[in-house]
Amino acid sequence: MSFAEGFWWALTMAAVVWYSTVTVYVAVRGAFDIRSMLKRLDDQHRTENGDST
Amino acid sequence: MSHFSFAIDGSIVGLYLLVTMVAGIFVRKYVGKVEHFLVAGREMNVFLGIASLAATEFGIVTCMYSAQLGYDYGFAGATPGICQAVAMLVIGVTGFCIKPLRDSGVITIPELLEKRFGPRVRWAAGVVIILGGLLNMGIFLRVGGNFLVEVSGLDTKTFPLEWMMTALLVMVAVYTILGGMLSVLVTDFLQFVVMSVGLITVTALILYQIGWDKLAETVSSSLVWERVTDADTGVAIDRSEKLGTGGFNPFVNPKLGWSWVVFQILIQTAATLTWQTTIARVLAAKDTATGRKIYTRTSFFFVCGFLLPAIWGIAALVDFPRLPESSPDWSKDYSMHMMPAFLSHFLPVGLMGLLLAAMLAAEMSTDSSYMLTWASVIYNDLLAPFHRHRWSEKTGLLWNRCIVAAIGVFLMFYGLWYPLEGNVWQYLAITGSIYLSSMSMLLIACCYLKWANNWGAIGSIIFGALFPASYLVLQQVPATKEFAGSIGDNYAGIASYVAAALAMVVGSVLKNQIRPTSASPTMHEVLP
Repeated sequence: MSFAEGFWWALTMAAVVWYSTVTVYVAVRGAFDIRSMLKRLDDQHRTENGDST
Repeated sequence: MSHFSFAIDGSIVGLYLLVTMVAGIFVRKYVGKVEHFLVAGREMNVFLGIASLAATEFGIVTCMYSAQLGYDYGFAGATPGICQAVAMLVIGVTGFCIKPLRDSGVITIPELLEKRFGPRVRWAAGVVIILGGLLNMGIFLRVGGNFLVEVSGLDTKTFPLEWMMTALLVMVAVYTILGGMLSVLVTDFLQFVVMSVGLITVTALILYQIGWDKLAETVSSSLVWERVTDADTGVAIDRSEKLGTGGFNPFVNPKLGWSWVVFQILIQTAATLTWQTTIARVLAAKDTATGRKIYTRTSFFFVCGFLLPAIWGIAALVDFPRLPESSPDWSKDYSMHMMPAFLSHFLPVGLMGLLLAAMLAAEMSTDSSYMLTWASVIYNDLLAPFHRHRWSEKTGLLWNRCIVAAIGVFLMFYGLWYPLEGNVWQYLAITGSIYLSSMSMLLIACCYLKWANNWGAIGSIIFGALFPASYLVLQQVPATKEFAGSIGDNYAGIASYVAAALAMVVGSVLKNQIRPTSASPTMHEVLP
């Protein structure tokens, strides 16, 4: 296996392993991010509606 | 013959579409202001940002052109992914340009440019961004529709491509119009998960069933064809040579070389700095540190985004060798169709449904983000002189929704009539350069060059757009087609970056000489 072929082999393996791991991690943490984002926006709406009444 | 099963694969696709639509429409109730619609109230955190950026920047068109690059050039075709990953990592770590951009609290890049170079530069910047962006996005639907039809083996007489494209666009438009960036972020998240599972599964299956050795051997022993004119007879003949190490090294690839690599470095760095859909994630982040983390942690995804589909293209090369122009099956875009043709018979029932859901996810996340992002530039920059401090939040929201719908209509018609030929990635790189060359120069000048001014900015916008736009026109006119071919995509693209930089220097120096008292404010002075 030449150096260039070895480089692409290593990059392919790294891509498959890294992407598989990150997908699971981002799926879990991203769900929490959505929940907290919607909660903060909801709080903003409540505050703005409370201020205007 | 495709392995697509209506009962099993169709159900998987249907379930995915249902969940996405429900989630996208559900969050519309949180949209109360223009800022919610365009930048999700700047409440986005790191992991949602990573999912959204990755999903947005990977559409079916990405998969198609990356696979085409793999089919045409072997592993060397995945080099743009490495260029973009390095650019994103360096910019994320150093905060180069994106830190002052996010600190300024703007919604779009032209809005920042106005603070240093004035309202005319903002407007002109908005025009080239829209021009480059919409020309670029115009082909997404056609390419996406082709992929879905070819992989699923649907009969286009029963299911016309145009109707499938329209249905897909309407679904995306509905949740984007209702929920803006909030719907885009939530659906992007779902789409990231589905898309990633599909990408990883199909790649793993190819590596397992075909094997690395077979893929590598196919690349190095494959033939590349070139049409040359015989010096003695004057007759055009097809000449071939083995790709060899050129399939792994872009510098020695007979179809790529130094000029291609330099163009990729320029375009990927410029895109990372100023591509509006990418930069929108920095601007929607809850603070500058979050924006930089999104860049740093997403960087390696761009290696995956180019390399994994390139492997699909190489796998197609195993079954379908490259053709000479004299072949009856040859056409200018035949290499684009090889990957879908391969997957249609390679994937079993069930996995076919997963792939289609994954690619629909990729396409929908890209289309929704792109529609919203270009709408934000039209509303925020082109219409700014008309609505500044005059329109209510409700009127602003209505305008934004109408602009998104109008972009959808444009996409449908442009995608139907534009004759896409040759290499898709090169088309996107050239149309993108219409604005990437000048906007990257303007952003760098705006943030770091004290001597830069509006003369340089206007010159940079004009000359940066001139080369790629003229090149596209020359390519379409029969009389000048050969001349355009002699210049080539790479030199036309590189010329736009050189011209944009030179125009910035010359224009700024000229104004500083002629009107030394009218200096533009520095970035330090314009930051809040």
